[in-house]
Amino acid sequence: MGEVIVITSGKGGVGKTTTTANIGTGLALAGQKVVLVDTDIGLRNLDVVMGLENRIVYDLVDVVEGFCRVKQALIKDKRYEGLYLLPAAQTRDKTSVNPQQMMKLCQELKEEYDYILVDCPAGIEQGFKNAIAGADRAIVITTPEVSAVRDADRIVGLLEANELRNPKLLINRMRIDMVKRGDMMSIDDIIDILAIGLIGVVPDDERIVVSTNRGEPVINDEKSGAGQAYRNIVRRIKGEEVPFMSFDNDQGFMIKLKKLLGLKAD
Amino acid sequence: MDENIISFKATVNGLILIMRDEDDFETIYEHIAQKLESSGRFFKGASMTVKYRGKKLTPEQEQKIAVLISKKAKMEIKGIEEDVSVPEPESDPESSQKTVNKPKMKLLFFKGLEEGLTKFHKGTVRSGRLISFDGNVVIIGDVNPGGEVIATGNVVVMGSLRGMVHAGADGNKEAIVAALSLQPTQLRIADVITRPPDTKEDRQGFIPELAFVKDDLVYIDRFLPQHM
Repeated sequence: MGEVIVITSGKGGVGKTTTTANIGTGLALAGQKVVLVDTDIGLRNLDVVMGLENRIVYDLVDVVEGFCRVKQALIKDKRYEGLYLLPAAQTRDKTSVNPQQMMKLCQELKEEYDYILVDCPAGIEQGFKNAIAGADRAIVITTPEVSAVRDADRIVGLLEANELRNPKLLINRMRIDMVKRGDMMSIDDIIDILAIGLIGVVPDDERIVVSTNRGEPVINDEKSGAGQAYRNIVRRIKGEEVPFMSFDNDQGFMIKLKKLLGLKAD
Repeated sequence: MDENIISFKATVNGLILIMRDEDDFETIYEHIAQKLESSGRFFKGASMTVKYRGKKLTPEQEQKIAVLISKKAKMEIKGIEEDVSVPEPESDPESSQKTVNKPKMKLLFFKGLEEGLTKFHKGTVRSGRLISFDGNVVIIGDVNPGGEVIATGNVVVMGSLRGMVHAGADGNKEAIVAALSLQPTQLRIADVITRPPDTKEDRQGFIPELAFVKDDLVYIDRFLPQHM
């Protein structure tokens, strides 16, 4: 029986789609059977970021309306064994799907696949409600910015209200140099407000822009810091204990954290 | 004393005295005296007209009431007359035990600041949530920015208060706001609104403080000075 993980944030542009693509790819590389589901109907991006947009024939709305079977709509990624994409519709909008349909779809997918990653759209309305409907777990993405954290806090509240307890936090686009200068929120600042478990911190990395444009998830890139962070996150999702990356030379994360607290200048 | 015999309504134009036709004048007179005894100091120094409705009064009765109010409440009565305007539908000011959403300033506000109905909320108030109660509120957790707590009584936060808080929401300026870390985006007590200073000081750890109103200004005081 598989697991449905929704990747959400509230705020737009913080890295939900990129994270879904990379974690999905990473899990497939680790031998799991993975389906990525894009629920951002009308503004679909997951297909582009995965480099699969030319192969879309059927989409989520077609499946939910009974126009085709799920298997017909799933796109098999030829680069990674066990990785499939269920794209969103581009010419429809979020009212074309309702939470009950999503729940039924997730139940069906759980029977055959190990991980179903649901890419949630920005916002808190219909799109969000659809995306969380069939989910077992949630990952909340935020960047170290005050506005993103506010929105993430709202989302955590809504998830708790919908019985999705213990969401995990992923901090994206972290820039430790800016934190040191006191120009950016630190990991501690963010956890102080959100108060949920941390699943990973992904550093800001130019290579992400290149990878999403090319449709090649950065998790494959050995040289990328973000890629390394995603690789660690995939292992943590599978239940492994992986120490957090030190962004400094040879110091452990906890020592680094204490140093950051001492140097905090805001 | 029957709480429903008379009631007062304060408006921008003055005071409205609401009576019931079936009660006799002596009873009404006594009740006015008693009511002003407990809440009369609210009007001290004011100068306003009094309108009445619900019962017809003779000129002598009008005068007696005017003198009574002016003496008990220590205010100047510019005139007293029957209220002929159409009264707008209003809720009974005495039945305030149900939850109100955003209460307006009332004459008969919640008074249970020392001993009164209290709501205990366990858990953090996240952004977008509103905790509203007709009484005192204790939050066992944080109040995050974007979260709101509105109480007609006191507000106590056993954590970091970083959102919006409104104590004494229906008019009681004696209400206080206390928190282990008082850093609200906006703080209101009754009709006094204030916000934190623009210079952000470096705060490490909990510094328990309470906010109160004195002479229409909000003051902040530490309430555990020995634990610094």
